[in-house]
Amino acid sequence: MKKKWFVGLMFVLFSVSSLTLLSPPSKVNAQGKPIIIGAPLATAFLYGWVAERAIKLAVEEINAKGGVTVGKEKRPFKVEVMDTRDLEPGVPVSDALLVVEKLILEKNADFIVGGPVRSEAALAAMDLLSKYKKVSILSTGVLTPAYHKRVESEYEKFKYCFRISGEVGWMVTGEFIPCLMGIKEKFGLNKLFIMVQDVAHARGGGDLVAKFAGEKGWEIVGKEVYPTGTTDYSVGLLKARDGKAQVILIWMDMPETAILLKQWYDLKIPALPFGTIVAAAEQPGFWKATEGKGEYCMASVVNAGNAPSNATPWTMKFVEAYQKKYGLEPEGYGTSSSYMAVYVLKDAIERAGKLDSDAVVTALEKTDLMGVYGRIRFNPKNHQIIPSIDPNEGAVGTIFQWQAGKRVVVFPPKIAMGEIKLPPWLKK
Amino acid sequence: MDILIYGIVNSFSLALMAIGFTLVYGISRLPNFAHGALYVITGFGVWWFIHQLHLNYVLSILFALILMGLIGAGIYRFVLIRVRGMATSEIIATYALGLAILEFLRWRGFKGMTYTLPVFIEGSIHIAGVPIDLQRIMVIAIGIVVVSFMWLFTHYNKTGLALRGMAQDEHAAMMLGIDSDRMAIIAMAIGSILAGLSAIVLLPLGNIVVEAGYNVLILSIAVCIVGGLGSWVGAILAAFMIGFVQILTVRYIQSHFHMVVALLAIILTLILRPSGLFGRQKELEERV
Repeated sequence: MKKKWFVGLMFVLFSVSSLTLLSPPSKVNAQGKPIIIGAPLATAFLYGWVAERAIKLAVEEINAKGGVTVGKEKRPFKVEVMDTRDLEPGVPVSDALLVVEKLILEKNADFIVGGPVRSEAALAAMDLLSKYKKVSILSTGVLTPAYHKRVESEYEKFKYCFRISGEVGWMVTGEFIPCLMGIKEKFGLNKLFIMVQDVAHARGGGDLVAKFAGEKGWEIVGKEVYPTGTTDYSVGLLKARDGKAQVILIWMDMPETAILLKQWYDLKIPALPFGTIVAAAEQPGFWKATEGKGEYCMASVVNAGNAPSNATPWTMKFVEAYQKKYGLEPEGYGTSSSYMAVYVLKDAIERAGKLDSDAVVTALEKTDLMGVYGRIRFNPKNHQIIPSIDPNEGAVGTIFQWQAGKRVVVFPPKIAMGEIKLPPWLKK
Repeated sequence: MDILIYGIVNSFSLALMAIGFTLVYGISRLPNFAHGALYVITGFGVWWFIHQLHLNYVLSILFALILMGLIGAGIYRFVLIRVRGMATSEIIATYALGLAILEFLRWRGFKGMTYTLPVFIEGSIHIAGVPIDLQRIMVIAIGIVVVSFMWLFTHYNKTGLALRGMAQDEHAAMMLGIDSDRMAIIAMAIGSILAGLSAIVLLPLGNIVVEAGYNVLILSIAVCIVGGLGSWVGAILAAFMIGFVQILTVRYIQSHFHMVVALLAIILTLILRPSGLFGRQKELEERV
């Protein structure tokens, strides 16, 4: 009887160990105490939910491959996401700060990745991160140059703050203006009308484009500032038409911008919609939502990988992994950068060999890896990712145009998948 | 010319948004602060009927409007009837209900720009050189039809006359055998259907977003306060005043101040003429 019992037990043990050994590597899960990533995100908005999805995808991939090597042990990542609501109209900055503090104190987050998403909230959160000495990698939403300038001006205080996504200064001078100049040269257009949302990054960005474009021979024929949540743009569009605008520069992160594009089409405004930041147009669902009326709209997704391209060998792998998990292409700004933020954090922790904030800061400053959107390095003085228009040199951006239901990358030239087209009612 | 055309469109949009709110208040003195939420759920309702139940557009609209009528009647029958006559409680109850509906929708993931309704007629035309899409022409046409229908209903229909009687003098109407609660239920049902109708006409111009509920409520309150609470004529006139000032503001000042116009109108009215343009009853009370 005892022998039978022993044989049975051995059989069960053998079966279990065989199953464990034979299971594919993707099923391997990391052991040990989890490293907690706190993600303060505006989850009801594009830049929030894409970051949440991308962070979770990266964490899942890393954990499946065994997790993070901290010294001699393997530890998994664990994500704690909390809604900051900071992209919603009328929500005070203090609400987002409470969320960050809650992640640190209640959820015991070891690192902060993602947001806060709104510039104003992220700037205010810097003091909190400094107070608790929490390393943060900002990866979505915030575009204001004030963020990295603050790090540079008070390095010792704000050295825990990094940004792995873009910032307005480079985007305007390194991407939007060169792209606008390309349009000017190719199509002979030179009259610009600016439509921006009434938030810090959009107002600042609009002014910056107006300044530089004006210096480069563009005539600025008007500017409209819209409160968050605006649902009617018809009069502004008519002003653009009356001003004989040929390009409408749009900088808005609210979903209602889809309405602007629908109205632009319905009114057949003879101007090319050049979306710099246009959250609505970034998403794959934009085509269906506008019933194809958004064709010809251009938009920046800030980093490559947020729309399909062959920027690096990792780009399409990421696009496919995201598509496999969520059933659609990466949806816009904040996706590839949030995904990379987790990998960059893993890399830094492994090089530091511990979770100590100062050690991880030093390791992050020495980051140099080829990621989804090019070579990833931080400027050690201000902790801003080093940008470029060549993926072998730095982090590349992406400007695409909606053409026949697809997001076709048109800028920068090194990763372009097609050419810019004008709407038929604009062609002379 | 564009100011005239788009001013008229904007004015009718405001009138459509506010007419349900002012009807309910005019008849039963009930401030329905869930008005904006009813506007939004109509949009999501129609979207759901079209995309989930695969009904055609007309049937979806019809079912959504019937549903709105039932919800409106239900709000009175199960919530407001218990606090009737207590103005502050009525406001708190309806506002809480509206807030609960809108935040529930947000919580359930009704976000982004996926939710849109098709326009009634595709295309645009030029009027005196000004381009205008046909859906906006529909806003004007339906606005005229709704206002005319409501006038005829309250002047020539027995129920409509009873509603008017309630609006003019509730006690006298009750002495003549008109059931106050029944009329309030009808008013709430019609008011909710009108909120739904405005959503069906206006939402194809954009997306269905939860935030629209708050905007519609603010605009409806602005129109009703400026026009005089409960006065239909006042509401229409106020809609035109605010509508044109908004368009002029966007045209000559900045789009940025578009919403400020409505809020400023509320403040100025409360300072200069608290009873509004046509709020006669309140005016008499003020004189006394």
